[in-house]
Amino acid sequence: MEREMQAYQCTQCGELHHPLHYVCRKCGGRDFKEVPLRGEAALLTWTKVYNLPEGYMRPSLGFCIVEFENGLRVAGQLEVDRPIFGMKVRAVVDVVREGVGEDYYGFIFKPAQE
Amino acid sequence: MREVGIVGVGHPPFGKYEGSLMAMLCEAAVAALDDAGLKTGAGHGVDQVLVSSMGASQVNRQTGVASALVDTLNLRPAMAETVENGPASGASAVKLGYMAIVSGMCDVVLVVGGERMRVLSGWEATDFVATMLHPEAEYAYGLTLPSFAGMFTRLIMAKYGVTERDLAMVSVKNHQNAMFNPAAHIQLVPDLEAITEDEDALTINPYVAEPLHLYDTCPVSDGAAAVVLCALDVKERFAKRPVKIAGIGQATDTHVVAEREVPTDLFAVRRAAERAYAMAGLGPQDIDVAELHDAFTILEIVEAEEVGFFPRGEGHLAVRRGETRIGGRIPINTSGGLKAKGHPLGATGVSQIIELVRQLRGEADGRQVKDAQAGLAVNFGGFGNNVVATILTREEE
Repeated sequence: MEREMQAYQCTQCGELHHPLHYVCRKCGGRDFKEVPLRGEAALLTWTKVYNLPEGYMRPSLGFCIVEFENGLRVAGQLEVDRPIFGMKVRAVVDVVREGVGEDYYGFIFKPAQE
Repeated sequence: MREVGIVGVGHPPFGKYEGSLMAMLCEAAVAALDDAGLKTGAGHGVDQVLVSSMGASQVNRQTGVASALVDTLNLRPAMAETVENGPASGASAVKLGYMAIVSGMCDVVLVVGGERMRVLSGWEATDFVATMLHPEAEYAYGLTLPSFAGMFTRLIMAKYGVTERDLAMVSVKNHQNAMFNPAAHIQLVPDLEAITEDEDALTINPYVAEPLHLYDTCPVSDGAAAVVLCALDVKERFAKRPVKIAGIGQATDTHVVAEREVPTDLFAVRRAAERAYAMAGLGPQDIDVAELHDAFTILEIVEAEEVGFFPRGEGHLAVRRGETRIGGRIPINTSGGLKAKGHPLGATGVSQIIELVRQLRGEADGRQVKDAQAGLAVNFGGFGNNVVATILTREEE
């Protein structure tokens, strides 16, 4: 089954959140509904990190913050050779951290046209 | 309102500590008690002990650290709590000590900050520090504090024209200052050209989190630092003239860094400083010396703007003009900063405050800022999601 990431929409005012908050940042509401968070996003900033934390058996990893078309900003991993400010990237959901018995899935941003 | 001062400081050298966490904390505590002229044993006069540590439970597998310290030092039956606010634990503990005295519950509070991190490998330390990030939206991705600092730096560079050389200049300045601080972990000064322009610069000074290099990031250090706080109405009990805690401000920001409205701002730094200035009745123009939380060189530049020393986007120009050096308009990180003095998380906020006390007492030796009357410290928790600003002033006889 294909994995999907979710945004959390306040049922009172419609404000989108990711990750889930207990109280809406805009209206103070407490009820949220899940809305799929996917598609293209604009690259806001990025880095390539060489000193990775425990559990990553590789020399470096790209990270980024992007803005989805719905305005939500999220952080994720970046797999783009030549990043440029504002470039379109595509959200893919895959394993971002391997765990014992349970891998963690999250956003990996890749070039929009492939 | 009751006024509070600092009457004792203890700051053994940061670096690699061979003994236990408790021994390290006690060494700093006893030095602070001695400096204050307090005796140990019966009649010690300490009402409350606060220990700041981010990782004692995770890294050293010890909880109830403050209770253990009180007994090890035989300060019983003083009240005791351990304070955890990430890398801002130290300034938070001083704030809580201040509140305890102002409330009237205590006259004398001993604050001891410490972290014994060198038992970890580099990647274990990075992982441990990253546990303060959002568990699902950040930590799970392998994101770390250097990752966010790198992404932040890229934005600041694009918006304001800050260069990698500007950042290296901050690093070299702080290493130069540390040469005059016997408690600093790193006692060497990198050559600016060697770490920026020379052919093998990337070998000596590799990227850690692009565009940040090794010399833009603080080392992993063991260390402890302690202060004795007292109500100014009981200052006669002590050997040294107190340095006054004139203002404290604290503010929080979004836990998830990507949710910040303006990604190039450090809102909590600005707000914490505003609150501290308002309480002290002072402004940025009144500050003579500052300790800013340079876990990454970029933070020193942007914090200096957020606390009002320079207009936004011009902090790096002040670095180029030498305004933040000792002898410049507003010397920053005379202690060597986190960059060169070291960053034992729970000790850092206390250590920054100790540097200000030394400057305001005129005890800073080769790094003394002439006639310093007021100092500001910024202790930065998370990636700026919980920040404490403290203003100290010199009290006349």
